[in-house]
Amino acid sequence: MVENPYLDAILTAIAAIIFIIISCFAVGWLARYIAKLTGASRKEQENTFAGYLFASPWIVGFLIFVIVPLGFSLYWSFTDYRVISSEPANWVGLENYAQLIINDDGFRASIINTLFLTAIGLPLQMGVALLLAVLLNQKLQGVRVFRMAFYLPVILGFNTAVLLSWRLMLNTGTGIINQIIRSVTQAVPPIGYVVRGGIFFQELTSAFFLGLSSGSFNLMTRVWEAGFPAANRVPLWVESPMWTKMSVILLMIWGAGAMMLIFLAGLKNIPKELHEAAEVDGASSWKRFWKVTFPLLTPYIFYNLIVGLIAALQIFEPIYVLYRDNQPLVPSAQSMVYYLWQASFSHFEIGYGSAISWIILIIILIITSIQFRVQDRWVTYELY
Amino acid sequence: MREIFDPIKRILLYILLTAATILMSFPLFWMISSSLKTLEETNSAGIIWLPKAPTLDAYIGVFQNSDFLRSYFNTVFYTSLALAGTLLSIAIVAYAFSRIKWPGRNLVFFIMLATMMIPPQALIVPQYVFFNKLNWIGTFNPIIIPGYFAGGAAMVFLLRQAMSQIPKELDESAFVDGANHFQIFWEVVLPLVKAPLATVATFLFVGMWNNLLSPLMYLQTVDLYTLPVYVSTLYNINLTVQQWPTIMTAAVLTTVPLIIVFFFAQRFILDGVVVSGLKG
Repeated sequence: MVENPYLDAILTAIAAIIFIIISCFAVGWLARYIAKLTGASRKEQENTFAGYLFASPWIVGFLIFVIVPLGFSLYWSFTDYRVISSEPANWVGLENYAQLIINDDGFRASIINTLFLTAIGLPLQMGVALLLAVLLNQKLQGVRVFRMAFYLPVILGFNTAVLLSWRLMLNTGTGIINQIIRSVTQAVPPIGYVVRGGIFFQELTSAFFLGLSSGSFNLMTRVWEAGFPAANRVPLWVESPMWTKMSVILLMIWGAGAMMLIFLAGLKNIPKELHEAAEVDGASSWKRFWKVTFPLLTPYIFYNLIVGLIAALQIFEPIYVLYRDNQPLVPSAQSMVYYLWQASFSHFEIGYGSAISWIILIIILIITSIQFRVQDRWVTYELY
Repeated sequence: MREIFDPIKRILLYILLTAATILMSFPLFWMISSSLKTLEETNSAGIIWLPKAPTLDAYIGVFQNSDFLRSYFNTVFYTSLALAGTLLSIAIVAYAFSRIKWPGRNLVFFIMLATMMIPPQALIVPQYVFFNKLNWIGTFNPIIIPGYFAGGAAMVFLLRQAMSQIPKELDESAFVDGANHFQIFWEVVLPLVKAPLATVATFLFVGMWNNLLSPLMYLQTVDLYTLPVYVSTLYNINLTVQQWPTIMTAAVLTTVPLIIVFFFAQRFILDGVVVSGLKG
């Protein structure tokens, strides 16, 4: 080990490159040898060598960083392995999994929170993305500038810096969002009723889901008994367990630009003739959207759904930045990955953490494969 | 009817688009505005859109904060070292999947696409143990080296799609002239995929610059912190008063490189490189 961390990183990088080159040639030669044994022609042997040589950085990395870790974590998930203790791992069978599924309230809460974020946040995110794409799909000057503005949040993404800007904006008393809500509702009372209705509905829904994870629906009863929110009520974004997930959903919606770009491409691919034909037949623009545009967009919706699902089920940064160390709020906000990070690295319980990783992996695979299964019920491919 | 209707529709659209733009860029505006305020102004009960007397105190303070400056340098260092190796290895692997015919290519490619389903977080626990065995905890290595193995299947896919569109005759004629795969890769193929390469480089840069989870796990000491980790420590829930002007100044300085890179790369990203890759 070199003392200077920068020099150490550069030297290790050089060593890694040498290692990659050697292992690539090794894989390439092996592949050529096998091709020779199977009686391939000289040209085929050369291509086999070159192909495996060039693909090997990924193949070797896949073995080192994916296959081997997956294998070890599967083994460790059945043990009580802890990285800091010197004792060897003891086989405990299914104990970790049983503990997680039956006894671990935090983990159950994290699954329910993540599913809440996915089930409510993802449709909202996709809806906003579609709306923005439709707006941008008009023949207007300056569309490029708007498109840039809508995409910028994707680049800023979940950077800590941007998340902290949101944290400032979401302050209950002095945050700009609540201040705007206050001044608008005071100026125009009818909007106030809409906002309060929204608050009531949101709190009931969140309290219901919190009840699901804690097993007691006291909170929901209390919200119901408190009745319609008073005139001065504002959302308690980062203060109340009933609002923590809503704040994250707000952030998800803000980053809808990536999906918007995909939808925009889909809209541009729809043949103009179809719309013109529908217009001649007297279809209203509303009807044209649902009967012509929407079915042709379904492959793009499906793509966004899969990418969005995987992203939403892995959410971590907003929860870490907004709610870390905030004990009363953490149970209401923690996502599966946040829980994994906390459970594994606060006590370095590798066995238990491995079991969590495997359950997360299985949940994601199940949800995505269900989507692939049901896609032919609603995704239209034949018109392309 | 149409002639009267169209201008109204047009104005309405512009109003909607402008409103959406204001909403989307508001966090950025608020970040900049708050960085120029005093502490009292950031906690004021009334709305202060722009500080009446903008102050650079927070900027002066941040530029004197050696921890912040070091984390800035760390981020630039780690991002450039990781980006160079990751981009090159991704291009090499994309070349193998698009320009060479070899037995097993489709199978390996399929496996690579399937790995996109595996959440990287499912691997963090065993990877942590592995890097611990290598004595890499508390160094930059765990956040740099994995990328050198063509980390990022989605990026390989994007570049492969772009490379597949180059006509085969180009490398065949180069072969006849006696070039080998390395020369064709470097001199024929790479110059033809500059725009997709720029897109991939941008995505990689953004991902590395924003990365929070792995630096948080592996860097451990404040000397090595990257910006996202360091900036997250500025907001401390245990303090009664948050130093918002300082936090927002650090946030502005963190986002500036992202905005600059996006500004130069936006025509590659937005003009359909990603999207044309999708169709194949």
